[in-house]
Amino acid sequence: MKKLLFTTAVSAAMAAAVTTTPTLADGHLQIVKGDPLELTIQMNHARYPVYKEDWPVEQKARELTNVHLKDVTVGANMRTDSENTGKTEALNLMLASGTIPDIVGSSRIKDFVNQFGPEGAFLPLNDLIDEHAPNLKKFFAERPEIAAAISAADGNMYYIPYLPDGKYGRAYWIRTDWLKKLGLEVPETVEDYEKVLRAFKTQDPNGNGVADEVPYFARQWPELIRLVTLWDGRSSGSDTYHDFMVVDGKIEHPYAGEGYREGIKNLARWQAEGLVDAEIFTRGSSARDFLLSENLGGSTHDWFASTSGYNRLASEIDGFEFKAMAPPASISGKRIEEHRRIPIKPDGWAIGGTNKHPVETIKYFDFFFTEEGRRLANFGVEGMHYDMIDGKAIFKQEFLDAGPVNRSLYQVGSQLQGRGYFQDYGYEIQWSNEFALEGIELYDQGDYLIDQFLGVAFNADEQKVYDRHWGSIRDHMLERQQSWILGNGDVEADWDDYMAQLDKLGLSKVLEVMNSAYKRQYNK
Amino acid sequence: MNTGSDKRHVTTVTTTRKRTLKQKLIWLGDHFRNEWQIYLMLLPTIIWMILFLYKPMYGLQIAFKDYSIFRGVANSPWAGLEHFETLFTNDQFIRAFWNTIKISFLNLLFGFPAPIILALMFNEVMNATYKKTAQTIVYLPHFISSVIIAGIVITAFSPSVGIVNTVLGWLGIDSIYFLTKPEWFRPIFVGTGIWQEAGFGSIVFLAAIAGVSPSLYESAVVDGASRWQMMWKITLPSILPTILIMLIIRIGNVMEVSFELIILLYQPATYETADVVNTFVYRQGLQSGRYDFAAAAGLFNAVVAFVLVMIANTLSRRYSRTSLW
Repeated sequence: MKKLLFTTAVSAAMAAAVTTTPTLADGHLQIVKGDPLELTIQMNHARYPVYKEDWPVEQKARELTNVHLKDVTVGANMRTDSENTGKTEALNLMLASGTIPDIVGSSRIKDFVNQFGPEGAFLPLNDLIDEHAPNLKKFFAERPEIAAAISAADGNMYYIPYLPDGKYGRAYWIRTDWLKKLGLEVPETVEDYEKVLRAFKTQDPNGNGVADEVPYFARQWPELIRLVTLWDGRSSGSDTYHDFMVVDGKIEHPYAGEGYREGIKNLARWQAEGLVDAEIFTRGSSARDFLLSENLGGSTHDWFASTSGYNRLASEIDGFEFKAMAPPASISGKRIEEHRRIPIKPDGWAIGGTNKHPVETIKYFDFFFTEEGRRLANFGVEGMHYDMIDGKAIFKQEFLDAGPVNRSLYQVGSQLQGRGYFQDYGYEIQWSNEFALEGIELYDQGDYLIDQFLGVAFNADEQKVYDRHWGSIRDHMLERQQSWILGNGDVEADWDDYMAQLDKLGLSKVLEVMNSAYKRQYNK
Repeated sequence: MNTGSDKRHVTTVTTTRKRTLKQKLIWLGDHFRNEWQIYLMLLPTIIWMILFLYKPMYGLQIAFKDYSIFRGVANSPWAGLEHFETLFTNDQFIRAFWNTIKISFLNLLFGFPAPIILALMFNEVMNATYKKTAQTIVYLPHFISSVIIAGIVITAFSPSVGIVNTVLGWLGIDSIYFLTKPEWFRPIFVGTGIWQEAGFGSIVFLAAIAGVSPSLYESAVVDGASRWQMMWKITLPSILPTILIMLIIRIGNVMEVSFELIILLYQPATYETADVVNTFVYRQGLQSGRYDFAAAAGLFNAVVAFVLVMIANTLSRRYSRTSLW
């Protein structure tokens, strides 16, 4: 079925290309005149594994720029990991094979190019952008913090990032129909939240006579740790789990803070009381699907768009309503939503060190920052997937109806993480359901988001210190964290030992190199 | 059997010593002309060994280098014993090392006798249909992928729907979240391993039992031996060489606990007992692209395994005159 859709899309693309060519072929976006320029490309990303030369979007880009990308992807069957572990096996394989294509696009490319770029595997882009890429230059001039964040330790940029648009990612969700049934209000504070979860556990809101409700659940277990924000702790400084954070211009780790200790103590209590899914660490990614459709799950912390979609269950479960709620106020009265879309992803594309046409390549990258190019990267091909109405790209109804829009877009070559482009949130708002939009509105009014740590680039010496110590520190942190929550240890009793152990494992050394890199990169 | 081949070996050595080079070459030519089929059969294995075991040895040097994939094996700068130092000063590595030994020892203690006992039991089953069915059932888990096995284990030990906790519930015992309790990891892991591999492992021993001369049993029956006595006095001693060879091979693999199953079953909460050298290397070496560090750990692993095989082989040769070489 999916394949059929895809072929139809391709044939439609060809038909459309023929009909729309005369109006668009004025050539103002052409990078080379005469014979098309052929560049090789490697592309891997979490969303759609391989590069396809016949994606309608690629066909259109060829037509507009006269640059033809030829797929030479190595490791096309290796998906770069979407679970934030930083795996770039396909890229490693490509490098080990000895040939670097003209263009390399991948999710999780940042650390890779920042490590191997200075060694000569990738070209520095700063001068190229300055001289040949007016749109990119303008963009970076307006957003200097982005240029700083993507730069390597030698001060050069080695990749053009995928820049997500829109701020909101995850939110707190709750079964509002259960609240009504039990005569409860939407919780405003952490104390309220606890009471509500306890009521879910003890007062049988699903009405089957058994206390089988799972008050708080999560698809990814670190979303349980996220709740330490309710006790003024932190679980991560970015959209990557367990990441460092910036406090008053200095880098610290959330798992070595007092609020975290308090939060873990209380979460252990919640866990013991059954307010948290007893199987939170092993249930895995199907938790949300299973617990909601079995009418068992009460509350979670998850993405707006995908979670709001579960309200379709109302047709099977009488009265089912799963709505976003504002983050409950913490013990000191702060309401924060720790997760947000990061403004820069470590994904995007770079120019291989052996590329013979760097100028044309950077112009090609620049093309996706022109108005037409950005639309192409976001919405697909005009006349085929969307129409311009009052100066806005509006998806065609049949495209909206053809299944999840983001997935359809990946299949025509839009919204690729392996391409450096600036996302347009307008693409998503058109297919977000009312529950998501309502939730986003709520979070927008409350202004709950906080600033994020955008990462640092190490020099070789710093990298060594980090590599040597960080893996063990992280392992130790997670190990203690889980055992405290599961009641295999007591956070209050163990805390001093824990801090001493972190120090022994080299946390202060890691923080030192983090801070020196941070200072260099952001001039603070 | 052993002494016979030894004697032949000795005679060939003494005769070749007397030959001239020319005679030697002629002998070699004749030998190949007569026996080429055997060498042909050997060839694929030799090619495989060269490609996958000997050629990679060149890459072992990255354990002593500051390896960059871009620079390649030859051009990366030397780092001396730095990676080994990092390894041995890391408490988690030391813990992973002892965990590997402990899990392997338990595997050996419970997992090694299991297929032998199973084979002896199959051997005593008289009803052919029952025997075939039972064998098929115990062989089956071997063919299931680790991912599925892990899924089955996670479900079976789940505190809410798992069969184990359901049964415990009938007995009035509170449900236990087994997979997050460090003290339960080893029993579950070793038990799963036995369930998965005991049946398939018994094939070797069944084959050995089939090779025992029936005349031994016949004369034992004449002498009035019971089945139990025949098992202890005939079957077991006859398959002892096979058991010892299997044991030596197994000891060689002591450092190679099936780490994909561990990765699928462990949690940070159970690292304390579950983290083995291979999972440690996977997490801290390969996932973050530190191939040099991972190679150092792998090399250390191999050295330990080699020493263990040497010891096992020597002991076996001294006390039972059965050995791999």
